[in-house]
Amino acid sequence: MKRKVPLVPVVLSTLLILFLLLPTFVILAEGFTGGFFPALIDPVVLDALRVSVVTTGITLLLTVLFGTPIAYLLARYRFPGRTVLDALLDLPIVLPPVVAGVGLLLTFGRQGLLGPLLQLGHIQIAFSATAVVLAQLFTSAPFYIRASKGGFLSIDPDIENAARVDGAGSWQVFRFITWPLAFPFLLEGMVLAWSRALGEFGATILFAGSLQGKTRTITLSIYAALESDLKPALVLSAVMVVVAFGLLWVVRYLNTVQFENPRRQLLSDVPDVKDPAATEPLQVSQQSEKHPEKAD
Amino acid sequence: MKKPLKKHLMIAAVLLMGAAHAETLTVFAAASLTDAFKEIGAAYKARTGVEVTFQFAGSQVLRTQLEQGAKADVYASANDAQFDPLVKAGLVLNKQAFTRNQLAVIVPASNPAGIKSFSDLAKPGVKLVLAQPSVPVGQYARQVFDNLSRASNTLFAQRVLKNVVSEETSVRQVALKVQLGEADAGVVYTTDITPEVKARVKTILIPGKYNVMATYPIGTVKGGQNSAAQFVNFVVSRDGQAILKKWGFLKVK
Repeated sequence: MKRKVPLVPVVLSTLLILFLLLPTFVILAEGFTGGFFPALIDPVVLDALRVSVVTTGITLLLTVLFGTPIAYLLARYRFPGRTVLDALLDLPIVLPPVVAGVGLLLTFGRQGLLGPLLQLGHIQIAFSATAVVLAQLFTSAPFYIRASKGGFLSIDPDIENAARVDGAGSWQVFRFITWPLAFPFLLEGMVLAWSRALGEFGATILFAGSLQGKTRTITLSIYAALESDLKPALVLSAVMVVVAFGLLWVVRYLNTVQFENPRRQLLSDVPDVKDPAATEPLQVSQQSEKHPEKAD
Repeated sequence: MKKPLKKHLMIAAVLLMGAAHAETLTVFAAASLTDAFKEIGAAYKARTGVEVTFQFAGSQVLRTQLEQGAKADVYASANDAQFDPLVKAGLVLNKQAFTRNQLAVIVPASNPAGIKSFSDLAKPGVKLVLAQPSVPVGQYARQVFDNLSRASNTLFAQRVLKNVVSEETSVRQVALKVQLGEADAGVVYTTDITPEVKARVKTILIPGKYNVMATYPIGTVKGGQNSAAQFVNFVVSRDGQAILKKWGFLKVK
């Protein structure tokens, strides 16, 4: 039963595929030709890499520190307004970044809502690395919350209960059962959030300004360099493409690993555990969760 | 299902062809010209019926875009540095200076850093916002600091540049950061202190002996429409110059 190749869909697909892939390969070709390494150690490039690595690193730490409890509570507890909160936390995902920047300015700016309060505490946010982190946190944390919530939902509560029966405290249950089981999802959330933070532009340029070595991240540097010296912009773009490929590969890899989590051996001291992967198919975080939301 | 689609496509094609026939001019102009050129565009349309669409940005952005093959009919920049390379490359023709401008310092109305004079910009802790050096106003501002340094034989320029907290990509972005009260001070053109901005900022004058005179060149883009020259003529005509004057620009000597 060989079916004929459907010509029109193939032609249309080819056009879009070319359109989607060609620009990135052109960037790679341009970025890596002639003087890639000299340009890589240009202070403009090094400063941008440093600012981006430091700020996105801090952002990621804050995201995990504050985002994990939110995700866990949303997944495990029913409380009034939960569904509304759940929906609202996704708002920054669909909000245009520059609008996020306006919101941050009106809230944390010197003449913003919390401005006088921050002045009292002598906290200077404007044009500082703090502003960069806040912009990244606002736009990227929801990605992590979403993915990790999916991870916590995918764990069979019976496993946690079994541990409790065996005398584990709630922190121990989380540390040795919930966290390891949900980890592939959390990691995927981290990767998504980190890539969003790394790519953040609109909110940053509005809220944090643009100063080399201080608030000028990779994306801001590319934008600034395009106006004077093209080479650093091309090199940084090529670096971003390579990083993007890397992240893509990590996410793919995680999606395959989620079905055979090697860390499940941690459960070996909990006998007769049902394998959650066998009982219910795990969903990838981007898909809608199959757990029916109970109305509050 | 097929028939209506065909009909829609026909209608779309007719509409598109109609749009292509209506004459429009595309003008790339320095961000500082935003208000004046919008008014000039409206006046030009009232006179000739030709629609003028503008792209306002830092001159260096427009220059890069033209170098990359962007289609435009007229180019007006805020300095020669972002204009002459295009003339040399044969991309822009018939260069002429059409207006001039001067710099001023603006601070938020609340003046959080208590800046009273131009020399206060060098006080430690002042959050100063400039345009980046590739932006004409950024280049002019640094020139002014150097002028004062040389005249007073001090490290004024170095001290001021230490206070820079952000380097923006156009003069309007600098004005915005000051209006929002985020920055303590910013260096802009006197023409950027439009009635709207005036309400929210204080102006600190730059002493005339240190101030620089910014001269704006305009020209037609190679491969653009023939009517581009007409628009340029309108800009340098008495009517065009009157509108520029209204927005605070100075006549070319």
